[in-house]
Amino acid sequence: MNPSRLETVDLAIGYPGRPVAAGLDLSLKEGEILGILGPSGCGKSTLLGTIAGVVPALGGRILIDGTDVTDLPIHRRGVGLIFQEPLLFPHLDVLGNVTYGLRRQRTPRADAESRARQLLEWLHLGEYERANVNELSGGQAQRVALARALAPRPAVLLLDEPFSALDADLRTRLAQEVSQMLRDQQVAVIHVTHDPQEARAMADRVVTMSTLGRFDPQ
Amino acid sequence: MHGTAPRWLAWSWVVPAAFLACFLAYPLAVLATRVATVDGLTKLMSATTWHVVPLAVLQAAISTVLAVVIGLPIANAVSRYEFRSRALAQALVTVPFVLPTVVVALSFRSLLGSGVPQGFALVVVAHVYVNIAVVVRIVGAQWAQQDGDFEAVARTLGATAWSAFRTVTLPTLRPAIVSSASVVFVFSFTSLGIVLLLGDASTRTLESQILRQTSVLLDFPGATASALAQLALVSVILVAGAIATRRTPRRRMRPVFRHPLPGAGAGRTTLLAVIVLAYAIVIAPVAALVVSSLRASGSWSLAWWTGIGSVDASTSRIGSPLSALATSVGFAMVCALVACVVGGLAAVAVLTRGRTRVVSLLAIVPLGISSATLGLGTLLAFSRPPTDLRGTWLLVPIAHSLIAVPLVVAVVAPALRSTDGRVQAVAASLGAAPTRAFLTAYGPVLRVVMLASAGLACAVSLGEFGAASFLARTGSPTVPVQIVRLLSRPGEQSYGSAAVLAVILVALTLGIVLAVDRLGETTRRGAAQA
Repeated sequence: MNPSRLETVDLAIGYPGRPVAAGLDLSLKEGEILGILGPSGCGKSTLLGTIAGVVPALGGRILIDGTDVTDLPIHRRGVGLIFQEPLLFPHLDVLGNVTYGLRRQRTPRADAESRARQLLEWLHLGEYERANVNELSGGQAQRVALARALAPRPAVLLLDEPFSALDADLRTRLAQEVSQMLRDQQVAVIHVTHDPQEARAMADRVVTMSTLGRFDPQ
Repeated sequence: MHGTAPRWLAWSWVVPAAFLACFLAYPLAVLATRVATVDGLTKLMSATTWHVVPLAVLQAAISTVLAVVIGLPIANAVSRYEFRSRALAQALVTVPFVLPTVVVALSFRSLLGSGVPQGFALVVVAHVYVNIAVVVRIVGAQWAQQDGDFEAVARTLGATAWSAFRTVTLPTLRPAIVSSASVVFVFSFTSLGIVLLLGDASTRTLESQILRQTSVLLDFPGATASALAQLALVSVILVAGAIATRRTPRRRMRPVFRHPLPGAGAGRTTLLAVIVLAYAIVIAPVAALVVSSLRASGSWSLAWWTGIGSVDASTSRIGSPLSALATSVGFAMVCALVACVVGGLAAVAVLTRGRTRVVSLLAIVPLGISSATLGLGTLLAFSRPPTDLRGTWLLVPIAHSLIAVPLVVAVVAPALRSTDGRVQAVAASLGAAPTRAFLTAYGPVLRVVMLASAGLACAVSLGEFGAASFLARTGSPTVPVQIVRLLSRPGEQSYGSAAVLAVILVALTLGIVLAVDRLGETTRRGAAQA
């Protein structure tokens, strides 16, 4: 049997005293892209933050490759996270950003740079490796953020409205392009958005946030 | 600007320009001409002028490093995490910065007076106390805005908490840290009240040297040389700070994740400890000051409070504490009026095309000129006929207005710029005359920001010591000047009266700042609803 890369069991999310949702059950296989649709403020970002470990889970379990990571610190979960803003580190150049995660894993600089160059080539950004990140266009910056997230080979990649800051044309084109590329990686992807068109361009299956569990669990 | 603008708007710069030319440019020109003589240039190059500089630089450097090191964890705790008393904590850490420096100095004398001897260490401690607020405000604002999410990204890429702080948070905060550090350095390097009351013979600044050369040694050329030396050094530091922070792309971002205080564990304990310590640091000296005002001959007493209206042996030459209070309040009101008219008209010019830069420059430039330099320049410029104003009470409020104008511009100009000017065109299209249309668009916001500006100008004037120490007449000192004079006399009564005045000054300043803060809150809420 092909085990799930990511699984949540009866997961409860929210902040102390302000729960958002409970009973969230998800299961994703390697290479699968799940689209989650929902309006702003429905808890999509909180769900991704909880899986990544940025927001502590209020209950339930998170399993990655069969291992319970619910209580593991963020940096040991192997979960990549991409936001609406690329959040590229402004004090590092493009290559510095993409090698950041590998360097934290103590990958030798030469190996880290070679992996980063591969990813940048693959994302058509080969000529920008020494560019100042503040000078990239919105689409370029978001692709650098993708390369940075994929470089340390995460098991799970979480995309939080990654294209919503871009204009409509570029958004759909980039969604399709990225979707193609992600299928080649052995990563399970959750893509949340409020735009049904973008969700369909990207995902294997699309669900709405409200069908995943119990909301407003006061 | 819209074609419907009232005609007088194009001329609004005349009053501020004339005011600054008379009361800033002219005194500075007088200072410069005094130095541009052979004697003056010799003084400027002489060792006497520069000998305080190395120790003053060391003092300012240590104060800066400590303020940053202590300020960073507090900025982290109160800017990034959500907890019940966060608004109170943020307001409280700002308190030391708005307290008059003379009051801070007296508070530290009350708190540590018997334990720590006056001198270098005590001066540094007081400077750190005042300037933690600068670091918390400047760095905290940047931290709250974006770096929480930068850190989250770094953590998902495999960085430990410490590694994420070291490799991402610290470098992205660097411009804000450098910017706050340069402000703290300048503040400590040009400090006067604290150095005067807590320093010893060797702990001086150029600012205290200027005062000493003017009032003790009567060496005006020497004082002028010191003032220009200070102006030059401060400009170098501010320009260096500006260059270091120049390439900062400032994008406002809403943090994706909220940061509630961790539920349990070492993280929570550390954060709570930092918050409690911040409260203690802020409150302890002020509490010690209040206690001093209530202790006489070793027991609790209201003697100093009930005696503030009386002129007795120790205060007969300088008037009673109460009369100093009346003088200060009067000066503060005149200062508020002048600063609001001048600063308000300067800020309105921001709405005129092409003047935005001049206005923003105006909001910064006078800040680089120390109050002793301002006081000395004003004294030299207005002590000879036909412009001899020494016999009048005007000099102190004028100098205070000069210090307050940049603040007024800094408050009013951004508020005007962010107001929707199209309302003016709509009002005009409905038949309103140009001035009426202007007031329809900008009147409501002007009412609030001018009131807030008046409050800030009052607070500045009430606490200002440097310029007033040059310009206040012997018989009618302001409160900070009288506090310093009282402290230079021996005896418990002088100390007690000084403490009472300082407590009153704390109450007035905090009252004003809280009221201004409340006004700001109302405006923000109004803007959010609109």
